[in-house]
Amino acid sequence: MKKILIVISFFLGLTILSCRKENTIDGPSIEDLYSSFKMLSTFKANKDSVDFSTGATVGFSATFNKIVSWKITITGTTSKAKKVFSGQSKSIDAATTIWNGTTTYFPLFAVENCIAKLTIDGVTDTFQVPVKIKNTRTINTSLVIADFESGFNPAWVKFVQTGANMDFNIKSDTSKVQGNSYLNMAGTVNWDWLIGLVDFPATAYSTSANTLNLNANPDAVYFNCLVYGVPNTNMSKVLFQFKEDENADGVFNANNEDEYDYNIDVTWTGWKLVSIKYSDITALVNGQPVTPKGNSIHNPNKIGKISMLHLADKALGAAACKIDFICFTSTPLEL
Amino acid sequence: MKPFLLIIMIFSFATGLFAQQKKTIDFIGGARSYMSNSAINVQDSLPDTTTLKRNTGGYALIDMGVNIRPNDKTEIMGMFRIRNEYGGFWGAGVSFDVRQLWLKGIIGNVLRYQLGDLNLKQTPFTLYNNRVQLMDSLPSIFQLQQNIVNYEKFYTNNTWRQQGANVDFGLTFNKYIESIDVNAYLTRLRATDFSSVPDRLLGGFSLAIKQNNKLSYGLHKVSTFDLKGTILDSNVYTNNVTTLYAENKFYYKHNLGILKIELGNSVAKYSKDALAPVLKDYFIHAQAQFVAPANKWVASIAYLNVGPDFRSVGAQSMNVNFNASPNFYTSYANNKLSRPLSIMDLVRNEQIYTTGVSSNLMKPSLMYNAILPFGLATFNRVGVYTKASYQGIKGMDLNASVYKLSEIRGQGTTQLKQFLQAELQTTFQLHQLIGFKKGLLLQTGCRLQQTKRTGAIAVEQVDLKSLAWQVGVNYEFAPKLQLIGGMIFFNAKGNDFVADRNLYTTVDYFTNQKMDVAQQMTALGLKCNISAKSYITALYQSASYQDKLLVMPDYTMKQFLLIYNMTF
Repeated sequence: MKKILIVISFFLGLTILSCRKENTIDGPSIEDLYSSFKMLSTFKANKDSVDFSTGATVGFSATFNKIVSWKITITGTTSKAKKVFSGQSKSIDAATTIWNGTTTYFPLFAVENCIAKLTIDGVTDTFQVPVKIKNTRTINTSLVIADFESGFNPAWVKFVQTGANMDFNIKSDTSKVQGNSYLNMAGTVNWDWLIGLVDFPATAYSTSANTLNLNANPDAVYFNCLVYGVPNTNMSKVLFQFKEDENADGVFNANNEDEYDYNIDVTWTGWKLVSIKYSDITALVNGQPVTPKGNSIHNPNKIGKISMLHLADKALGAAACKIDFICFTSTPLEL
Repeated sequence: MKPFLLIIMIFSFATGLFAQQKKTIDFIGGARSYMSNSAINVQDSLPDTTTLKRNTGGYALIDMGVNIRPNDKTEIMGMFRIRNEYGGFWGAGVSFDVRQLWLKGIIGNVLRYQLGDLNLKQTPFTLYNNRVQLMDSLPSIFQLQQNIVNYEKFYTNNTWRQQGANVDFGLTFNKYIESIDVNAYLTRLRATDFSSVPDRLLGGFSLAIKQNNKLSYGLHKVSTFDLKGTILDSNVYTNNVTTLYAENKFYYKHNLGILKIELGNSVAKYSKDALAPVLKDYFIHAQAQFVAPANKWVASIAYLNVGPDFRSVGAQSMNVNFNASPNFYTSYANNKLSRPLSIMDLVRNEQIYTTGVSSNLMKPSLMYNAILPFGLATFNRVGVYTKASYQGIKGMDLNASVYKLSEIRGQGTTQLKQFLQAELQTTFQLHQLIGFKKGLLLQTGCRLQQTKRTGAIAVEQVDLKSLAWQVGVNYEFAPKLQLIGGMIFFNAKGNDFVADRNLYTTVDYFTNQKMDVAQQMTALGLKCNISAKSYITALYQSASYQDKLLVMPDYTMKQFLLIYNMTF
């Protein structure tokens, strides 16, 4: 009897000894992987109208029974501008999915009614809520070089090559992206890379200074523009030349003053926002980085002139692109 | 040419030794002739114009081993294999291989050592060949085909065949304890590729202390580790398992009682991989066994608790690679689908069996073993099991076991799977039981495996059941001549989630595997036992695989086999 008790005690002791409590699970939740989709709380916006000019935002929320891949597409009913949020989660949180009036696919939103549509991978149903924009967001810039809303500034200097179908004009049509106007740059020049150029001298923006009124810190100055790639045409190159008048004599001397160059190969179609920190812009000769010829210090506050060149391979023929909202900001531009 | 030179060198060495005094030399080995003619019939949904439906061939081989004892303290063994595929001659289809090579001896009458090929085993949680089998034993017509696999893969007594060095020694004492035995080994598990895969070694030791005839205890340690410096990356894997065990014997009303316990822990980690988790866990295995006088009956009950993060490379290696492709009828349905393994492959296809410890965790098969794919070392299991055997009547042998286990940690859910496995095997020497003059043996067996999980939501539910049963007959109708036959039926139906594990053996995804498969294998043959160590047999066998969910096309394989086998 004693030995049987020993055996029983032996097993009882082991059972107690090996008791373990597991609160975790191994691997991903099977419910998340396999259960059919259910919307636990409806898709909604935390406000039905918003004034973005005051810094107000709109948040979106929804809760699901499992982790899903979701996408919210907000479309302006008039402008057709689109803002997209996407993620993979069990819920959409109004505190994190916040729309401040910016755009994913241009043009920019206008004062208009919008529809926010929620789509979920593998789910045929869509869910939508209306949002009205009472005022568009205020875009904070340091200096707008050109938004082409007031026509061609007389201080700007335009040069257009001789060629076929040359069009270097401001237009206001359905391709507009910011405001109502943009600059169209198109034509065929089969004997030179240059199709046309526009010089933006500092004197166009100030009557008292020969240089642009920008922050001296090149890390706190961003150059931005909107560039439109025209479908089914040859690739355009848009070259911006930032010519620093280091001695502020009103004349840029290419032999002893810095010139920084930013080349944009327009490889896309539609509007795209291009943004670069001024200190990241290098000096180029024939597309290759070189040492600038002046003090070799980025001085945004000493830019005397910006030249914008539209270039294209002469062997290919016609090239076209559009440009708008050339500006400087203190942080990367968000539209 | 190299094998020839090697043979000549060994023979020269052996002859040289033989010329001296006190040296012995023995020739051991085996020979086999294997002829097969088979056909496959597939229930194709589209006409199959590309898959070959018949196969004929075979081989003859001889394993020639030289066992040399140059002195009473050294023994050398070298075994070569010459194999010739039927139809190959004068080079084509002929292969020469070194099958075994080891050297062992004793230093100073104290330290025994062995170098080269080693057969290693510690405990089911440290280093152990947990055999994947439908049942503990098969009817003899299938077992003789399994024995060929066992011979080919060096499966003896749950050992793993490794290459390295092994030393052991024992000490005896007059007081307090009777003896201490120490065994240590170091083997190479995986060779480096000199760029991204480091050398991986497996080493360990056992310390066995015998206090007296009733009490013994000890320690096992096994370590799997990457050898730093064999590649440029200094991130190395280590898996250490340490276990303690004790065994106490006692008598209760003339019955022998044995209490056994083994408990230990494991740590598996990578040294410089921020993504790699450190897996630490422990296990407990305790068993009480009772043995009646003259082994009339044996019964045991055991408690098993193996943590979900317990990792032991040496014990969690399977001897069947379920992802391997069979070497015959590899694909079907216009060669577009890989033929799923059937019980015929499990019985006779040596290509799917592994030769040594796997350096990575292998993927088990839910169909064939969803409960203990890595034997007792299967992680994330807790519960009890009991075994009983009865040999009280001459000519009758009964064996039964029941496992009732559950998960410790939920897999993709907080709900736990419940496991039940019950197995019964019987052997009746009918000629002894009914007084028949000619030898008549009847073997039967069945195994049920059931996995269930009642989920909080329907999608988590698991209900998988597999049932295998078998019968075998062996009738010696004339001296040395036997009529042998057998059948195996196997069904697996239901669903379970297969864990897709990453390099770190943690789960990335669960695939819900649904199955409704019925298999059947029947065989009939004649066997002539030429001597105790040789036989010739002619068999005809058929195996069918039916997938009722129509995931894979059904097929039937038929095979005629002529096997001659001998050892010397």
